[in-house]
Amino acid sequence: MVLRTTDLTKRFGGVTAVDGVEFELGAECCSLIGPNGAGKTTFFNLLTGVLEPTEGTVEYRGGDGDGWTDITDHAPHETALSGIHRSYQITNIFATSTVLENVRIAAQAAGGADSFRAWRNVEAFPEYEREADHILERVGLADERETVAETLSHGEKRNLELAIALAGDPDVLLLDEPTAGVSSDGIDELTDLIDDIAADHAVLLVEHNMDVVMEVSDRIAVLNQGSLIADDDPEAIRDSQRVQDAYLGGYEPDSAAASDDADDATGGGLA
Amino acid sequence: MLVLYPFIYGFLTSISLSLLGVSLGELFTVFLPRVRTMVVVLYVGLFAMSFDFVSGYTGYLSFGHAMFYGIGAYFVVLVGTGKIPGLPAETPFMLIIVLAGVLAFLAALAVGAVSFRLTGVYFAMVTLGFAEVAHVFIRNWSYVGSNPRDGVGVVGRDGFAVGIPGIDALQFRLGRLAGDSFENVLGTGIDLGAAEVSFYAVGAVVLVCYFAMQRIIHSPFGRVMVAIRENEERAEAVGYNTFWYKLGAFGISGFFAAIGGALFAGYRRSVAPENTFDLFVTADALLAAIIGGFGTLAGALYGHLFHEFLQGIFTTESSGLARFLRDTLSEGILSAGVGEFTVLEFINVFIDGRAELYLGVIFVAFVLFVPRGILGSLRDRLGGPLAETIPERLRRYRR
Repeated sequence: MVLRTTDLTKRFGGVTAVDGVEFELGAECCSLIGPNGAGKTTFFNLLTGVLEPTEGTVEYRGGDGDGWTDITDHAPHETALSGIHRSYQITNIFATSTVLENVRIAAQAAGGADSFRAWRNVEAFPEYEREADHILERVGLADERETVAETLSHGEKRNLELAIALAGDPDVLLLDEPTAGVSSDGIDELTDLIDDIAADHAVLLVEHNMDVVMEVSDRIAVLNQGSLIADDDPEAIRDSQRVQDAYLGGYEPDSAAASDDADDATGGGLA
Repeated sequence: MLVLYPFIYGFLTSISLSLLGVSLGELFTVFLPRVRTMVVVLYVGLFAMSFDFVSGYTGYLSFGHAMFYGIGAYFVVLVGTGKIPGLPAETPFMLIIVLAGVLAFLAALAVGAVSFRLTGVYFAMVTLGFAEVAHVFIRNWSYVGSNPRDGVGVVGRDGFAVGIPGIDALQFRLGRLAGDSFENVLGTGIDLGAAEVSFYAVGAVVLVCYFAMQRIIHSPFGRVMVAIRENEERAEAVGYNTFWYKLGAFGISGFFAAIGGALFAGYRRSVAPENTFDLFVTADALLAAIIGGFGTLAGALYGHLFHEFLQGIFTTESSGLARFLRDTLSEGILSAGVGEFTVLEFINVFIDGRAELYLGVIFVAFVLFVPRGILGSLRDRLGGPLAETIPERLRRYRR
């Protein structure tokens, strides 16, 4: 296990967005699915310190650490520095910087005090640029390294989104709908990329496209109205009547009609 | 070109050639800023650059920036009048400048520690609030002088000198009256008046400050500043505690703003609340940064040059366009017009001392049509910083 939550609860006024979630993430690729409004993004925000939970704890065990660390009260930058990185459902990049700089600045963050050096030129720190180039190679953006980020196509921006999250060598990656708005060709490439990333990172994936989920997941957790209603291997989830009722609505892999439904769900509002 | 400006100005304004009955020399006198105006451009330009350093690069508008300029200016005058305990009136100017900067740096950290809990317009309002408090305070602080509202001047002390500390031969006193002037410099036959000496002395300090800020912007720290401007949420998500970077940038900016203010006070030898701590002083910096190009650093200096250039043309003084037209145009043209509204009337109403009117219009036009400013648009067009792209262009033309 690298990440676990105990009785994690978040209430906004009278609405309970996340309700007593007990969840564990190991060195695996786990998908988190559920209908829009199920609390998936809120759950992410609780894990990364963007929101503070009303109740419960988030704990983390790093690669070299031996015990659990309580990271419930960590600010977003502290969570990131301890090795948990995230990507965003709505593209969230450094718009007018180059593609390279987008990833380089993220890699530099892991360098600690280096970022406070105000009297040295950036070029004195080539290691961050090298790391960024490696990552761009991996996500297929190497040819665009000098392009201004906001001029990329939507699909390329989604790849850049992942590239920024990969910088700084995280242990855990929380990916919030990486395929949102991506064309079907792009989805195949992204699926391969996520599979590749999952080989050397613990991944928690929020995703509406069930083909992607089935392809990459070792395990699937289902969130509905803030509660975890199922947490099992993909086959068991697919066969679970309760999950079918709450979310999948008759999903069969490779069934054209059903995957259209799943695509529709992708276009919906914030989870 | 800026380096040779006093000579270019001297040469062009002394041309006795006439074109269509108009003396070219006089024409240049009207349209070129005087050397002593260029001194103003330099120190206000430095202040505007310091404003751009924090506002243009981290995206946080510091509407109270005049406070740091004022701290620098008042510190110089207070030391010069022997009112700072432990610092005699004759303290070397270079030391005063640095101390003024450090003082403003600390003040900026204090203001920033409170203000950076907020973002956007709320941040701007809180910094403005701090500056207004300082403004009211300085207007009523009788320790400064017997009449603090009217400001205070330095009397008795020698001119404030820019130079290399410890070497008497390399000290150049600033000021129009108290400044040094040199005849026949090093036997070259070139005379330098007080304005020219001040221009070079102030210019040297401004240049050093500019390079220092450039260096910081191109450092890992500077890149984080830009990341905060681009997307602060993501900057936090990748692991930056943005508060400390913003605070650091604000402190550095305050340091250089105070040096701008200190140069102003060293040159003018007097300060008043209205030309230091006032909101309009910040507005000058904002104007310069917008016209010159937000987030370009040097652009702010060019922006203020543009400001002074306009003001020089529309001034009511003898070197202004209005006086020039009244003297040059014949009586017939001046009295021509529709009814009561003659050409002379037009000149008096729309040209004489009307710089602010056009400046306002130009400011609006820049915001609407040239959002990247003079320098920003030039860089866009040439595809990079001018120092890199212009030599390349010139090489292309030479072939």
